[in-house]
Amino acid sequence: MLLGYSLTPFGHDPDAWTKPRDRRRLGFDALLDQVAAAEAAGFDFVLLADRLSIRPADDLSSVAVPFEPTLLASALATRADGIGIIAAASAAQHEPYNLARRFASLDLVSKGRSGWLVLLDDGDAARGNEYVDVVTALWDSFEDDAFLYDKVEGRFFDPSKMHVAHHKGAHFSVRGPLNVNRSSQGRPVLTHLLEEGDEALAARTGELLLLQAGKVEGLVAIAARAIRSIEAAGRRRSDVRLVANVVPVVAGSPQAAGYKVTAPTLAGVRTIGTPEMIADRLHELATAADLDGFTILPPTLETGERFLADVVPELGRRGLIGGKRQVTLRDRLGLARPVHPAISGKEVSR
Amino acid sequence: MSERHMKLGAFLMAGGHHIAAWRHPDAHAPAGSDIDHFIHLARVAERGKFDMIFIEDAAAIRERNPDLASQAARSTAFEPLSLLAAIAVNTSHVGLVATASTSYTEPYGLARSFAALDQLSGGRAGWNLVTSASELEAENFAASGLRPHSQRYERAEEFADAALALWDSVEEDAYFPDGGETFADRSKLHAVHRHGKHFSVDGILESQRSPQGRPIMVQAGASDVGKDLAARTANVVFAASQTKAEAQAYYADVKSRLGKYGRSHDDLKVMPGISPIVGATEEEAKAKYRALQELIPDAVGVALLASYLSIRDLSAYPLDGPLPDMPPTNLIQSRQQLIVDLGKREVLSIRELARHFAGARGHWQVAGTPAQIADAMEDRFLDGAADGFNVMAPLFPSGLEDFVTLVVPELQRRGLFREEYEGRTLRANLGVSPPAKS
Repeated sequence: MLLGYSLTPFGHDPDAWTKPRDRRRLGFDALLDQVAAAEAAGFDFVLLADRLSIRPADDLSSVAVPFEPTLLASALATRADGIGIIAAASAAQHEPYNLARRFASLDLVSKGRSGWLVLLDDGDAARGNEYVDVVTALWDSFEDDAFLYDKVEGRFFDPSKMHVAHHKGAHFSVRGPLNVNRSSQGRPVLTHLLEEGDEALAARTGELLLLQAGKVEGLVAIAARAIRSIEAAGRRRSDVRLVANVVPVVAGSPQAAGYKVTAPTLAGVRTIGTPEMIADRLHELATAADLDGFTILPPTLETGERFLADVVPELGRRGLIGGKRQVTLRDRLGLARPVHPAISGKEVSR
Repeated sequence: MSERHMKLGAFLMAGGHHIAAWRHPDAHAPAGSDIDHFIHLARVAERGKFDMIFIEDAAAIRERNPDLASQAARSTAFEPLSLLAAIAVNTSHVGLVATASTSYTEPYGLARSFAALDQLSGGRAGWNLVTSASELEAENFAASGLRPHSQRYERAEEFADAALALWDSVEEDAYFPDGGETFADRSKLHAVHRHGKHFSVDGILESQRSPQGRPIMVQAGASDVGKDLAARTANVVFAASQTKAEAQAYYADVKSRLGKYGRSHDDLKVMPGISPIVGATEEEAKAKYRALQELIPDAVGVALLASYLSIRDLSAYPLDGPLPDMPPTNLIQSRQQLIVDLGKREVLSIRELARHFAGARGHWQVAGTPAQIADAMEDRFLDGAADGFNVMAPLFPSGLEDFVTLVVPELQRRGLFREEYEGRTLRANLGVSPPAKS
């Protein structure tokens, strides 16, 4: 079972900042403490969500990370070296060349542990499709073994293994190549958030799909539809990881689990109960919806801590998590390393 | 009055500023994509009490010809903001200045990114504002297109004002009011509404206010509009000057423009580049320099020279002959003039100019003992040519380590450079005025 941790300064409950009031939680050190705890508990990734590309903003949200997510990801990557880091970034806020560069750099800083949570403009699927294709093509500017570092011959890379995209489409015109080295996991992991609506782009390009639904029936339906779309796109179920958002509320006893959760920014299925009950529930959900794992959206930091302290060991006792720690995010998720198009025989440009 | 100290920046670049640095036997060839290498360099600069480290940028590969590109370590690099965010949380005092162009970005996203760097570093961020002049960059953003020089600066002016307004949209303690009912204290948030020729910006920056008020503004403007923009908005200006007379003229020119914007002489620090090659003896320093020069492939050096001259190709002209006459350029005009002047003054061939520029790309080079290098810096610092220097070590890490170990103590002994940091923010260490209260 894969485990992700959705990072916020206070928790996903909009009132969490009042319980307790602690200004330090807005700072990098406190955020790093949360990530380090998730890392120590064996989580596979931390998710730095952003407001869903809504601009203009009229304040800082207490339920989103308080720094621009891609830069926070870069900072965290140097201080927590055993966990994947997925940052949200919006196609509406960055030119594709700039976004491709930001994430390619993050993938170098993190030594192959990064992922991009793709945020798109609503209602412009064609632009979104083209945007993701441009970014992917830029990430393929160099083959895995392009860099020679041959001091004697004075050859830094093999020019036959550099590929210039020369993209000309309806929305973007981008020459390339990207001026960043290819990372140790090939490319950042393409991550999409799926709720209602069009999942064609996620099914075609996504490697990690984050499923968001408030109710179990909705979650099962979204997962089934995603799997159908993945297969309709000519891919296999095993090419993609499906991970559902859950809001855990851990209680010492079933009666004590009356905690009220109001409208979290990222909705998820609420799982309330003792550690044993939550472990049961996650196992049932994974089986019912054919899921690979869960992203935890703790309503408060204290509930997150209880999940790490009590539920994670329970999952371990059941053999649902554990095993060898992999370095790259791709390896941790059990995703194949992307084969460069020049090797797989797809047409590429020079 | 306290004695005047020079300001020092460490201009970091993969294996070194010399174009062939990566081929040197001591070089770590993959340095440009190794985050641990850069964290080490930043810590060396911090040990040397440098005001700042500085990262250049281009949003494209720098050479169109794949064969030439594949011989240059500068063909790939970290994106500067990602790199400095990583360094921010592994250092404590040194300033972090990233280059970012106004040509192919938007004010909101850029202001937000620098605000994040400022928060992550506790107030040590700086933005080197540039405009993009290369065709290769334009082709990566072809919907935007390459603009003529004047329009690039018009956009830059409007961009800078929008970024400053966004940084001022949040007062100190705007969030988490003590005892307050809401997370945000709305009386301390001031929405920006700017609708100019190039941008529409509405809203509040999603960030807390900078620990230093605002990030430090840096520029390298050498054209007339560039110098005016620097005089109006910048705290630091970098410059490329070969001779002391050029440096003095530039210094006087930029400082003379401050008055009309209501700013004082000390509010803008002029920091020309210096490429120091440090040796125990003068002969050892010169031998170090020669060893690097011999590693430059002629084709790479000449292509680099052509790019600084903003022309496509020099390969049709004899290597040992003089530069041809230059066509007028829409690109970076000041750098072209500097090269043409140097070629005429010292009667240099294309090959000699190429090798000369490959070493420090038009900046001032000094090879000598620590005392000789300190003498040269002291002379320009005390004689109206510089408030400090942007140090461009030809080879990393050894060039910077040598400078910190040998030259910095010499400058300190002479009372020319700080023994300890004055504060924790870049603004405090530079000693420039805080932004006026908005």
